[in-house]
Amino acid sequence: MRDDLKVGVFLCECGGNIADTVDLNKVREELDVEFIGQFENLCSLNGCKIIRDAIFDIGLDRVVVAACSPISHEKTFQDYIKPLNPYLMDMANIREQCSWVHSDKEKATDKAIALINASIEKVKQSDAVDPIYCQTPTETAVIGGGIAGMNAALSLAKQGTKVTLIEQSPSIGGHMAKIGKVFSPVKIAEECGMCLLNPILNELVWNENIDVLTNTKVIEAKRRAGTYNLILEKSPRYVDTEKCIACGKCAEVCEVEVPNDWNDNLSMHKAIYRPFGQSYPESYVIDMDNCIKCGNCVKECSMRAINLREKEERIPLQVGSVIVATGHKLYDMEKRPEYGYTLFRDVITQSELGRIIGVNGPTKGKLLRSNGKVPKRVVMIQCVGSRDEKPDGHKYCSKICCTVALKNANIIKHKHPDTDVLICYTDVRTPGMFEKYYKHIQENGVRFLRGRPGEVVKKGGNLIVRTEDTLKGEFIEIEADLVVLSTAMEPSEGTKEIAEILNLGTTEDGFIKESHPKIKPVATDVQGIYVCGTAHEPKDITDSIMQATAAASKVSEYNHGGVEIEPFIAQIDTDKCAVCGECINRCKYKSMSIQNDEIYIDPMSCTGCGKCLVGCSQHAITVNGNIDEKIFATMKGILSKKKDGERVILVFLDNIGYAAADNIGVNRLSYPESIHIIKVISVNRVRPRHIRYALENGADGVFIGEFPGDLMYDEVELKIQGVKDRLEELGEDPNRLTFSKVYIPYFSGLARKFNEFDAKIAKLDETE
Amino acid sequence: MTFKQKINDSPIDFAIEIINDVKNSKDEGVLKCVQCGMCTSTCPAAHHSDYNPRDIIEKVLAGDESIISEENIWNCFYCYTCHSVCPVGNSVCEVNQILKQIAIAKEIGYDKLYEYLGFADSYFTAAIGAIPERFFPDIGQDVPGWWNFRQNLEEIRNELELDSLMPSKEVIDEVSKILTITGFKSKIERIRASEEVEK
Amino acid sequence: MKDLPTEDILLFRSCLVSVEYPGVEASTKFVFDTLGVDYAISEKQTCCTGLGHYSDVFNQIDTSAIGARNFKIAKEMGRPNLVMMCATCYAINKKSVKLLNKKDRLRNHINKLFEENGLAHLKYEKNDLKPTENIFHVVDILYAKKDVIKKHIKYDLSDFTIATHHGCHYCKVHYEDTIGGVRNPNIMDELIEECGCKTIGWYDHKRATCGTGFRQRYSNPDLSFTATADKMNAIEDEDVDILVHLCPNCHIQFDRYQDLISKREGRNFKAIHLNIAQFIALAMGGDFDKVIGVKAHTVPIDSVIKELKEVKK
Repeated sequence: MRDDLKVGVFLCECGGNIADTVDLNKVREELDVEFIGQFENLCSLNGCKIIRDAIFDIGLDRVVVAACSPISHEKTFQDYIKPLNPYLMDMANIREQCSWVHSDKEKATDKAIALINASIEKVKQSDAVDPIYCQTPTETAVIGGGIAGMNAALSLAKQGTKVTLIEQSPSIGGHMAKIGKVFSPVKIAEECGMCLLNPILNELVWNENIDVLTNTKVIEAKRRAGTYNLILEKSPRYVDTEKCIACGKCAEVCEVEVPNDWNDNLSMHKAIYRPFGQSYPESYVIDMDNCIKCGNCVKECSMRAINLREKEERIPLQVGSVIVATGHKLYDMEKRPEYGYTLFRDVITQSELGRIIGVNGPTKGKLLRSNGKVPKRVVMIQCVGSRDEKPDGHKYCSKICCTVALKNANIIKHKHPDTDVLICYTDVRTPGMFEKYYKHIQENGVRFLRGRPGEVVKKGGNLIVRTEDTLKGEFIEIEADLVVLSTAMEPSEGTKEIAEILNLGTTEDGFIKESHPKIKPVATDVQGIYVCGTAHEPKDITDSIMQATAAASKVSEYNHGGVEIEPFIAQIDTDKCAVCGECINRCKYKSMSIQNDEIYIDPMSCTGCGKCLVGCSQHAITVNGNIDEKIFATMKGILSKKKDGERVILVFLDNIGYAAADNIGVNRLSYPESIHIIKVISVNRVRPRHIRYALENGADGVFIGEFPGDLMYDEVELKIQGVKDRLEELGEDPNRLTFSKVYIPYFSGLARKFNEFDAKIAKLDETE
Repeated sequence: MTFKQKINDSPIDFAIEIINDVKNSKDEGVLKCVQCGMCTSTCPAAHHSDYNPRDIIEKVLAGDESIISEENIWNCFYCYTCHSVCPVGNSVCEVNQILKQIAIAKEIGYDKLYEYLGFADSYFTAAIGAIPERFFPDIGQDVPGWWNFRQNLEEIRNELELDSLMPSKEVIDEVSKILTITGFKSKIERIRASEEVEK
Repeated sequence: MKDLPTEDILLFRSCLVSVEYPGVEASTKFVFDTLGVDYAISEKQTCCTGLGHYSDVFNQIDTSAIGARNFKIAKEMGRPNLVMMCATCYAINKKSVKLLNKKDRLRNHINKLFEENGLAHLKYEKNDLKPTENIFHVVDILYAKKDVIKKHIKYDLSDFTIATHHGCHYCKVHYEDTIGGVRNPNIMDELIEECGCKTIGWYDHKRATCGTGFRQRYSNPDLSFTATADKMNAIEDEDVDILVHLCPNCHIQFDRYQDLISKREGRNFKAIHLNIAQFIALAMGGDFDKVIGVKAHTVPIDSVIKELKEVKK
C-alpha cells in the first residue's frame, strides 16, 4: 500500500550551488515519482508556492526536497508542505553532502540520484506524527568577561534573566580595558576606552541578576533535558575579595617582580598585584607561579585577606542556555620571524603601542623607544599574519587592523608632529564612515606606502624595513627607529577549549561557527548555545556589542518560546507496562522515571536510541516513526541505484555526526563519491540486521560514526564489535564495517576518515 | 596614451595559458594576485637589477604577452623566495619559468640557451648534467686552483673510496632514448642549428 | 612532524657533489654508517637534470620523464625512500613526484611515450611514490637520528663561530614540507647543536639565496656576485668562521668564489665552507682526506681549523 503513495520530488538549483555541479536534467530522467518540480531557490516564497500548488493539484501524499542540508532548511520545508504533516517530508542533502564535496559532475549527479532515491523510499515509510514542545531553564551562563560577554550578560540581566558571567582571568574587562584610546568614525576623534568601559562595568557589578566569577573556567559540560550541567573550576586567588580593600600595601612589601601581562610585558608588577586600576573584583591577586611564599604580604595585610593555602574549587552550574564570548588572541610573532619582533626591542605590535601611548601604560602615555627617546620615524606594517595563506598564516582579513593603525598613527602625530609616521599597506580597508577617518588621518600628515614589506633588519643604530613601493615599482630600504606590526586576530585558547567542551562547530580558522552566516549569525550548531564577539570572527567593539545584545535577545526568545522536539522518542503503553523499572535501569540518558506510579519519559532527554525497547518484557515501549523500516528503505533507495563497478559506502551518523559531515561541505573539503550519508536519530538504531542487509545488497562498506560524548558511545562500540565478529563467522570481511569517533569541530578529520575508509574498501574490492 | 580594450579582447587568456601549463603547481594562484609587492620586497634580482616579479604578474594579468621578449625576465635566480612567501599562493618563480618556456617554444629565447647546450650534450654522452666546457676558461680564471683540482678529481675520488662516475652504456642509451622521445633532442638540435645560422 | 625513514633508502647521487665536492658523498656515507642508517647507492640512477632544468634547457616533461626512470629504479631496489645530497635534486624530484601523481595528463603522456618506445618497464603509476613520504634530503634523515648524533661526537668545534646557509631549493620550493621552517630555517642549526656547538642563529640575509641563480653565475656574473656579496658581508659582520651548507651549488658559490668576491668588495672574507654532512663527519672524527675530502675545497679548511680539540668525556 505504501508503494501506491503519490510522491513529489522538488529539486533546488540553489542559485547554481547545486545545479552547476549536479546535472538536474539527468536527475529528472532517472526518478520514478508522481511529480518533479524544480526551482532556482526552493526556500524562497516562490518555492513555497510551487510545492504547495503541486500538493493541492496532484494530491501528493509525500514530499522529497532535494536541496541543502536539513540542518539549514528542514524547518522551512516542513512549513511549506502544509497541510501535510511535517514528518511526511524528507530532505535529500545534495548540496553540503554532494555538490559542495564533489567536483566530478557525472559522479556527483549519480550520487545525487542515489540520495534522492533514498529519500523517496524513506518517505514512503514515514507516518504523520506531531512535534513536542518543551520548556528549558532560563538561567544563562555567559562565558568570557570581555566587552561582548559583559554586554550580553547585562542585556539579559536587565530582562530579568539570572546570569553567571564566567571569566578565566582575575578581572573582567578583556582587551578593551587595555586598548587605551578608542575612536568613533563619526566623531572623527579618539576617546578614552576605559571611560567608556567603566560605566558598563559598574552597571554590571551592581546588577543583582549577575553573578561574576573570575579566575574561573568551564572544564566540563553535559546536556540533559534541555539543561546544561556545567562544571566550573575556580583557581585560587589567594586573596579574599570580600575582605581585600585594594589598599596595595601587600604589593609594596612584595619582593618578586613579574612581567605585567596587562601592559604586554612592557613593565613589571609584583607577584601580588592588581591587574589594572579599574579591575573588578576590586582586589589583589597572587601569581603563585612566581610567588616565593615569603609571607611578607600576609603579615602586612591588616584585613587578613591573604591565604596562601587557598585551594582550587569545583563549582557545578545548571543553566538552560550559554553565550560564548571567549574572544581572541593576537598573532604569535615567532611565526613571522623576518619582521624581527623577537630580535629587536623597537619592533613592537599595535597592542604594545596601545599600551605605550595609553596614559595608564608603562610610560604613562609617553611615546618612547627602548632607549627612552621619542622615535623620529615610525613604520607600521599591516596584514601581519592576516591575508596570508602560507603555513601559520590566516587567510582572512582581521578587519580592525587598518583602523587601529590609523588611530595609533593619529595619536602619534597629535603628540609628536615631527615624528614621521608611515603605514605600509596592501589595501586600506575603511568601509562606511571609517573612510572619513582615513581622510582625516591623511590630512594630519600620516604617510602611506603601498607595499607589503619582506623583512625588518637592523643596520647601524637603525631598523631597516625592506619593501617595494608598488606604486612606484621600486624596491626601497626605509630607515626607521620604531616598527609597529599590525598583527592578526586569532581565536583565543579559551575559544578553542570551549568549542571542544561544548562540541561547537568551528570554522577552518578555529573561530566558533554560526549556524548560518547570513540568517543565523549568533546561533551555533548546538541548540541553546549562542556566540558573540571575537570568538566568532574578527570584529571591532561596536560589532561585538551589537552581536552580544543580539545573542542576549536570542536567549530570551529561547527562554520564552520553548524548544520544539522531534517526536521520534520512546512511548509507553501504560496498559501493558508492569512498571518493573527495567527501562529505567537500561536508559543511559536517565530519561525514564516513575511518576504517579507510571513510567514517565522525559521528551527532552530521550534520544529515541531504542535501548529500553529491547529490554521490555511486556513489549510496552515503542519508538515513534517506523524507524527500522525507514533505515531499510533508505538503504534500498541508495543501493538500487548502484552501477556496475561503482563503490558504495553507507555512512550512518546521528545529528552530531551529520553536522560534522555538513561542515566538510561548508568548508569545501572533499571526500569520495562512494560515501553516502544516512542520518539516523541515534546510531544505536542501526541494528545488526541493517548492517547485514547493507553488505548483502551491494554496499561495499558500512561506516558508523558516533560522538564519544554520547552516553551510548561505549555501548554502540561494543555492539559494532559484536557485529564484526558475527560477520567473520558468516565468512564476510569484518573490515568492511568500521566504527569511528566523530566531533563537530574536527570535520577535516572526518573527511580524512572517509577518504581512508574508501581507500581501504577499494583495496578490499581489488583483492576480492 | 590611451590603451583601448575592445569588447572581444580577453586579457585573462594569457594567465589561463600559464595556469594550464603542466609546470604550474599553484592552481589559480596567479589570478589571486593583489599586487602587494611582497615578492619584490624579498627578491634578490629586484634588489640589484630592473627585474620586478610583481610587475611580471601585473603584465601577465593584463594579457601583455610582450613580457616574454623582455630581457629582464632572464634575471630571476630561481631562488623561490617569492614562491615561499606569497600571501595569496602564487609563485612568480614558476610563472617566470613558464614564460621562458613559452619564449623558447616561440624561438624567441633560443639565444639564451646557446651557452647552456652543454648541459644537454652531457646527458647523451654521460647521463649527467655537467657544467658546460665553454665556461671552463672563466672558472679557471675566477677560481684559483680549480683547474688543477679537476685534473686530480679521479685521484681524490679514489682516496674517498667512491665508485666510478661514468654510468654503463645501457644506462646512457636508455637516458638518451628518453630524451629523444620527449622531443628534447630535436629541440636541442633546432637551437644548435639556429646558433650556427647566427654565427 | 612528518615520518622520517632511516631505512630502505636510496642515497641519490648528485652531479655537483660527484665532480665538485666528492667529500660530501663520502661524509654522508660515513655519518650514515655511524648512525646506523640503512642506505644503498645505485649505478643505474642518473642525474636529476636540475642544472639544465634551471638553465631553462630542460622542460618539465623531460625532467619528469628522467625522474620517472629514477623512481622506478628506487622502487625496484625496494628502496622507495630517495635521499638527496643536493637541494636542487631534492626540489626537482619532489616536484616530479607531485606532478606525476597529480597531473594525469603529464603522467599519461610520459607513460604512453615509454610504452610506444620499448620502455614500458619505466612506466610510473599514480602514487608509486609520495612526495612527503618518499622524497627527502640528507638533513631530514640526520634529523631523524638527531638524538644519537651526540653519542658519536669526538671533536669539540664549539670554539668556532658557526652560521648556517640553508639552500633555497631545500627550504622554499616545497615549504610545506620543510623541517625547521622556511622563514627562519633552522634544521641545520638544530643538528649543529647536537654536535655540542651553538650557531649564531639568525643573521641578516639568513634566508637569502647564495646568489648562484643558475644561469646568473655564468651569464650575469655581476648580478650573481652582488647577491652573494650581500650574504658574505652579513656573515663577515657576524665574524663567522664556518658556514655550513646543505647544497653543493651554494657550496660552490661561496667556496670557489670567496676570493673573487673578497676582491670585488675590498674585504677579506675568511669563512670556510662545509656541508652539514662534512661538519658532522668532522666532529665524529672523519679523516680530512679520506672522508671529508678537503682537497676539493678552494678555501682551505685548515685556514680556520688548525687543530682539533677532543670532546671531554
